Amino acid sequence: MKRLPFSLVSTLAAALSALVLTSSPAANGQETAPPALPRYENTNVILISLQCLRPDHLGAYGYKRNTSQHIDALAKESVVFDNAISQANLTPVAQMSVFTSQYPRVNGMVSFEVPQDRVSKNTLAAILKLYGYNTAASISSPEFFMRYDSATGAVVSPGDVFSRGFDYYGRTRRGLGGRSIRKVPVGSLQWLAVNKDKKFFLWIASGLIHMPYAAAVPAADRVIYDPPGYTPFWKKLPLPKSESAESADPSYEVFSRVFRNDFYLGFAPVYHLTQADTDYVNARYDAGVAYTDRFVGEVLKQLDALGLRKNTLVVLQSIHGEELGEQGNFFHYDVTDTVIKNALMIRFPDGEFTGKRVADQVQGIDIMPTVLNYLDIPVPHEAQGVSVLPFLRGEQTAPPNEYAYIDRMPWWEYTLSKWYLEFKNNQGDYFVPAEKEKLAAYQKLIAQRFNALKAPPGDIAIRTNEWKLVVRKNKPLLDEVSWWKFISGKKQPVDEVALFDLKNDPLETTNVAKVHPGVVSRLKEKLLAWDGEIERQKTTYKKEDKYLIIPYP
Amino acid sequence: MPRLKRSRPILAALLLAATLCLCGTVQAAVDSPVAGLPLKYKDYNIVLVSFDAMQGNHVHCLGYPKDITPTIDAMAKEGFNFTQNISVASWTVPASMTWFTGVYPSEHRLLNKYSVYEPPVEVIANLKKLAPQIVTLAEVLKANGYATGGFTGDAGVNGVFGYSQGFDTYFDQAKFGDLTDSAPRALEWLKGKKDKKFFVFLHGYDSHGQCIPKKGFDRRFVDPNYHGKYTGSAQQQEALREEGLAKGAINLSDADVAFWRAIYDEKINRTDGRFKKFLDGMKELGLYDKTLFVLTADHGTEVYEHKRFDHGFTLYDELIHVPLIIKLPERNLRGIAIPDQVSSIDVMPTILDLLDVQAPEAVKKQMRGVSLVPAMRGEPIEQDAYSETDYRLYTFKRSIRTTDGWKFIITMESNQKELYNLNRDPGESKNLIEAEPRLAYELEQKLYAHFAGIGHDLTKEKWKTGLSPVYPSQAKGWKKK
Repeated sequence: MKRLPFSLVSTLAAALSALVLTSSPAANGQETAPPALPRYENTNVILISLQCLRPDHLGAYGYKRNTSQHIDALAKESVVFDNAISQANLTPVAQMSVFTSQYPRVNGMVSFEVPQDRVSKNTLAAILKLYGYNTAASISSPEFFMRYDSATGAVVSPGDVFSRGFDYYGRTRRGLGGRSIRKVPVGSLQWLAVNKDKKFFLWIASGLIHMPYAAAVPAADRVIYDPPGYTPFWKKLPLPKSESAESADPSYEVFSRVFRNDFYLGFAPVYHLTQADTDYVNARYDAGVAYTDRFVGEVLKQLDALGLRKNTLVVLQSIHGEELGEQGNFFHYDVTDTVIKNALMIRFPDGEFTGKRVADQVQGIDIMPTVLNYLDIPVPHEAQGVSVLPFLRGEQTAPPNEYAYIDRMPWWEYTLSKWYLEFKNNQGDYFVPAEKEKLAAYQKLIAQRFNALKAPPGDIAIRTNEWKLVVRKNKPLLDEVSWWKFISGKKQPVDEVALFDLKNDPLETTNVAKVHPGVVSRLKEKLLAWDGEIERQKTTYKKEDKYLIIPYP
Repeated sequence: MPRLKRSRPILAALLLAATLCLCGTVQAAVDSPVAGLPLKYKDYNIVLVSFDAMQGNHVHCLGYPKDITPTIDAMAKEGFNFTQNISVASWTVPASMTWFTGVYPSEHRLLNKYSVYEPPVEVIANLKKLAPQIVTLAEVLKANGYATGGFTGDAGVNGVFGYSQGFDTYFDQAKFGDLTDSAPRALEWLKGKKDKKFFVFLHGYDSHGQCIPKKGFDRRFVDPNYHGKYTGSAQQQEALREEGLAKGAINLSDADVAFWRAIYDEKINRTDGRFKKFLDGMKELGLYDKTLFVLTADHGTEVYEHKRFDHGFTLYDELIHVPLIIKLPERNLRGIAIPDQVSSIDVMPTILDLLDVQAPEAVKKQMRGVSLVPAMRGEPIEQDAYSETDYRLYTFKRSIRTTDGWKFIITMESNQKELYNLNRDPGESKNLIEAEPRLAYELEQKLYAHFAGIGHDLTKEKWKTGLSPVYPSQAKGWKKK
């Protein structure tokens, strides 16, 4: 016979009982235990979310270049996760999974543009607010600005989903003559100084590492890793006249034309990238990482200066990674480990678990349950992730997640179909005439293939620390609408089922599905079962829903 | 009646702390009227009585001002009166099976009259089919040498659902029958059982909307000046129920409501009188002093408290707060009112404990409730109560009622949430879901954890409303989708 224990909520009752016990006269002379308040009473939380941060470009994860002395120092004081997996390859999608602890199709945030009311509202910020937290965000990733700025009350564009639950939602601005909005969000330092005496949850999200690489880094710091004498290859090519073509910053406009190391213009490969080109891109990327690291150092220094270290939980995470030419591609188009493997470290107050290194796999959806669990707050039943605390405390020997699940929906193309190409085309100088001719047809094709009210079938992946299996659920559609097909002028077929041996081939260059049919069938069965369950639970959109566009500068 | 003082958790901790500090040991309460009683009644008889549809608030010993339940009150005076007893469900089919199984409706699966209703395919819900592993109270007692007899008013406790499982004899031939149908048959069966231990389940629909006195109402509590259109007939109550279900609310005048409440009082008063006759019969047979009685109700009745009528479709207190009285064989015992919250989930383990029956391990594991014997000894118990209803597939509701007087109700198909402070708002009229978001959040997590813990993860089910009739008249609306 049993009643269900509900230890989390009863914590408060237990704490109160403890208080009562200690306040009784200790007639028997025995010392009673000090009252144990639930941690949410006096623990601050800082979540630092960094876009496009590759863990293997940090010293803490073994990088050769000295890009990250401050993050490395933080890592030494933290639990460091070596296999932290993102739920998706796109920023808003991956991060909403962190905030809701739900897979993207379940929380409804499957793209840059979703009907806001369909997105799960039980976010980390909203729950912490219930427990008396002052919730603040300081952000330089435009993916999160989305429309409403509670600092000024100005509606940037209606329909924000990320600002929900935040008392203060601050963001960077382009400013006069500013190159990029993707600066480091220094407003967070000031916010901390002003609000140090409040119990707070501060979300710091930086988009600085994102393309165009290092564009917001001061000129002197931007070039620190540049190979001597290198000239960006695109400057030597007959590119349509545009700001990005003239800039030395590796930009999306340039690198979205690169597929498997070929640079396409007018549907022809006009240039083959060399190692020197890739090295340069990496150098500029690393300059962004190093500059971001300095900012993280400032935040941590500020915490120390304000005396907040002892009662502040610090979580630092990549939102997702980045392809940096390992397979001749750039940006974050697919679900390779370069894109979906994250840096993740948690510094607990009082140095708890310091120096612990977790090789077992964890997922983005585990962050929220872990934070709530640590704070003695019940985890919402909607959560699909698990707290890793029992594992850290040694109460569980099994890894929290033997399997991680990743969604790559072809929203990339979907977004292109909606507005991006038009936006670019309107700039007038991005596409060459041959491309412009076919652009309208391409847009039309995607729009036809992707019904606006129904998420197109996507690609799904399952990952263990040994294997990754990727299944393209609708390969013919993907082959047809692929952006790579558009820029190259010919189909670039992808494998319908691909298995990668992550131990021996971490860069996922060789599909070994045929060599290991047993592994394929085992993982595929798991993956499809997960996919079926997610489809059953997924958010459904309605005809009357409004789809609002998020600016993507 | 002396009330055994029950304290809130913090006070309890304080009391415990003081006791620990001053004496170094926990002392038993010295003034307990049951001190010295064994509270173990091996080989005694047991009678479990269900006064179907009897709302807790209409019972005098639970605070109803009118003295309409003298027999029940007298038993409470000599017994243990659990004044905050909560049913796991708000209508007969799911609620009653919990006494016999010790599990929640989600587990015994008697959630509706039909487990499949897609005419021409109609499958009547049945315990053996839906939860074949579950062992019933009657089966356990039978295995321990008890003669087992069920005497009921049919309908929701018809044997076809599995209610007869484990009974030697089971009477369910009088549709919406009352105690004048079931009790004489029980007494008849009890003749000659003087030297044999027995378990009787006695049930009557006397207080139920579909049960009318055979010679009509005498309107003993009706205001003689009432000249409204209502007569108190079963058809009228059914029509009011259906109108309320269709529209969400009905509109009655104060006089109409007073009339219906008076009719309900008469039904309860008659229930009590008929039960007295049954007790007299037991005494005549010489069985009364060798018998433990457990008096309870499967659910209450809504008499317009939330602008509707009847029961099944909500989880407000008028439907789930029901009497639970345990009368021991000892006569002239000073009774105790136990205000700690308990649940119908506790009935089966309590009966087995009182009868000192060793249940098989599987049954011990099966039962979700706790024995209330420690509470009868004066130990405080603190447990949240969970209720649920999938009434006719009209709605799917789940609730948690806390020991400190909060109730959280969630309607699964619409995700509509309600939170009430029962201490300040016993009528559950002011939804505090916006005013108390943190408490609502915590109770919601608790509720989901409870159902996940009994193997029914609420996040994994699709809540599709439909039609699964309880009464034949409702089947007319069925259309193949």
